[in-house]
Amino acid sequence: MKITFNRTKYLLIGLCTCSLLIQTGCWSKDEIEELSIYVGVALDQAKETKLEAKLGKLAVNANDRKLLSVTLQIVNKQSEEKGGNSAGDPATKAYLNVSETGDSIIDMIRQLSTRMERPAIGHHLKVIVINEQLARHKSMYQLLDFFLRDNDIRPNCVVMMSSGLAKHTLEAKGNSIVPAFRLMGMLENRYRTLKIMPRMTLYKLEKHMHAESSYMLQNVVAAEGEVKLSGAAVIKGKTQKFRGLLNEEELLGVILLSGEAEGGIIKCVNEKTNEMIAYELKAMNSEIYTSVDGDNVSFDVKMKSEGRIIEDWSENSGPIDDAYRAGVEQSVEREIMRLAKQGLDKIQKEYKADVVGFGTRLSIEQPKLWQKVKKNWDQAFSRIPITYSVELTITETGTEKSQ
Amino acid sequence: MINNNTDQITTAQAAVIVSNFLLGTGVLTLPRVAAEAAGTPDVWLSVLIGGMIAIAAGIIMAVLSKSHPGLTVFQYNKSLLGKWIGGLISAAFIIYFFMLAGYQVRALTEVTSLFLLEGTPSWAIIIAFMWVSLYLMTGGLNPIARLFEIILPLTIVIYLFVMFMGFSIFELDNLRPVLGQGFMPVLAGVKPTALSFIGVEIILILTAFMKQPAKSVKAVVYGTAITVILYLITVIMVIGALSVDGVLTRTWPTLDLVRSFELPGLIFERFESLLLVIWIMQIYSSYTISYYAASLGLSQLLNINLTSCLFALLPVVYIISNIPKNLDVLFAFGDLLGNTAIYLVGCIPFALLLLTKWKKGSRG
Repeated sequence: MKITFNRTKYLLIGLCTCSLLIQTGCWSKDEIEELSIYVGVALDQAKETKLEAKLGKLAVNANDRKLLSVTLQIVNKQSEEKGGNSAGDPATKAYLNVSETGDSIIDMIRQLSTRMERPAIGHHLKVIVINEQLARHKSMYQLLDFFLRDNDIRPNCVVMMSSGLAKHTLEAKGNSIVPAFRLMGMLENRYRTLKIMPRMTLYKLEKHMHAESSYMLQNVVAAEGEVKLSGAAVIKGKTQKFRGLLNEEELLGVILLSGEAEGGIIKCVNEKTNEMIAYELKAMNSEIYTSVDGDNVSFDVKMKSEGRIIEDWSENSGPIDDAYRAGVEQSVEREIMRLAKQGLDKIQKEYKADVVGFGTRLSIEQPKLWQKVKKNWDQAFSRIPITYSVELTITETGTEKSQ
Repeated sequence: MINNNTDQITTAQAAVIVSNFLLGTGVLTLPRVAAEAAGTPDVWLSVLIGGMIAIAAGIIMAVLSKSHPGLTVFQYNKSLLGKWIGGLISAAFIIYFFMLAGYQVRALTEVTSLFLLEGTPSWAIIIAFMWVSLYLMTGGLNPIARLFEIILPLTIVIYLFVMFMGFSIFELDNLRPVLGQGFMPVLAGVKPTALSFIGVEIILILTAFMKQPAKSVKAVVYGTAITVILYLITVIMVIGALSVDGVLTRTWPTLDLVRSFELPGLIFERFESLLLVIWIMQIYSSYTISYYAASLGLSQLLNINLTSCLFALLPVVYIISNIPKNLDVLFAFGDLLGNTAIYLVGCIPFALLLLTKWKKGSRG
């Protein structure tokens, strides 16, 4: 009896030990060293790189339609490792850009598996840059479908637009920079300048695409490995295609109207002294008021801001009293009104695209009326009278008491 | 068949089981399903109303079971309606319960193989899952209840933590206007929430095992209320972050909410794995209890040993879980279950309750 008990016990121990062997590890594991993690994607009009053309000549089968070019930015694992040990290896770049030309985005990404030993994975995709010309002909539905559908790519990936070649925005001069991370870092600077718009992510785009509402994408330009955020691209709701650019001043006006400013500088000429004066915006909001008379809608935007005088070029020294302050406030207010007008004229009269969110306001305040106008909102928007006003308070003048 | 007296559960345990059964597959798709039907941001009201209805149905069922102390629905069915009709209704309940078990397992495989274990064959996921659950069930209802008592608080803490992280992308405007198109869309959104409230019916069986069957109403109300609150938070956060238009096109909107933000600087930047882990625990508990209910019903209906029923149903549930060809069929299957529940759980217990009262009245 005792022996049989022990036998079962040993048998059990044996079985347990054996089962331990199959318990370790994961069924479908991928070692991180054996993957190409791509962090940025650039979509351009079809243009084969020299390398692709050469490979294409030698390849036995290359008859894909040439619709667009995709550039993937892959983080170079080895250089990162070295970077950790010896403060950056000057010989190798921190990233690797590979381009493919074809007609399906996922197919091109998978094609890369025939060119690289490590398969590309999209878990860490941070930014998608789309060329303006490409977005003129292809809608966002088409260009972004894969990115919205893929189960690896996260919906908080940022989408930007480039008026130049998109792949140039993913290039950098130095060896320590990963350009996709640099773009993300630049978007963080919204509290320093008014010329950067809130990040437009995939999940927000999905909403606009489904609601067929217009929106803006941050524009980025590149030259010689340097990039600059400059203005914004307007995407029309109905077509989901690129409509036109807002220059930096127009974007500034639109941002002020929408009240999404976080911080930054507004410079203008002080009407009293005729010298340059800079106002640092510290807080800002705007309220859109809707009034309806029958079927006639009109909007009134009330902008409010607090801030300080941060630079003043006037020479005749004197104390900053209430009168002077009021003068400055008036000058800055006038400048804000000018910027708002410039921005609004462009989006309302020229592009006929409501990127500020007047529609959202109307849908909240007049849901019944909104149901009637929402189908052709952008058209209706272009005819609606909009008034705006600004109320500015200078709370301090920095560490200087007088001019 | 007389229930084992030692296999009894407390009132709190009964409430926990109800909660755990309710929190299942529904939570990942609820915002989309409700938004599709309502079309307005008022879906949270639909969920609230749906929850109230579920609680009302739960109370009816609890009162019904309370008046038959120590007996499960499968047993008092017979005495109320006779062998054949009662047996037929019991059979309907049994089929419903193991269909539900099959549905839960399949939903689990779909989500895990999409987001967690890409490449692992589905049979490997299903079989491991079913075996672990079988091991728990052979111990009886008491071990199940005790495990659920560990799972539920963990779920609530982690779930609330993850959901409130979503505040970083929350926009109140997405939830407005409130009742912009009147009350009709809200009512339209109520019915599709039924699938998410599948589970209250377990009280029909639980009451028989309770130490104090008189408190079964309390158990079902508390158990359901916990879930309703969690559902409300989910819908408000998901619609608030992604908006109605953004939710309509997403297959698993609740997961998308968690995938839509990153919090650099914390130990974890991304939270979807955390959410999936607790969600798998929830599916595990929903599956276990519906499977257990089906087996118990079968054993009581046909007078067979419970353990052999537990084993015998394994291949059946496995096959059911493999029937839906694709995700659309699976969701249609879920809708079917939800609709069945409305009749099976909403109407039959009410009729049974009236019958019980009438019989008692005529006797007295």
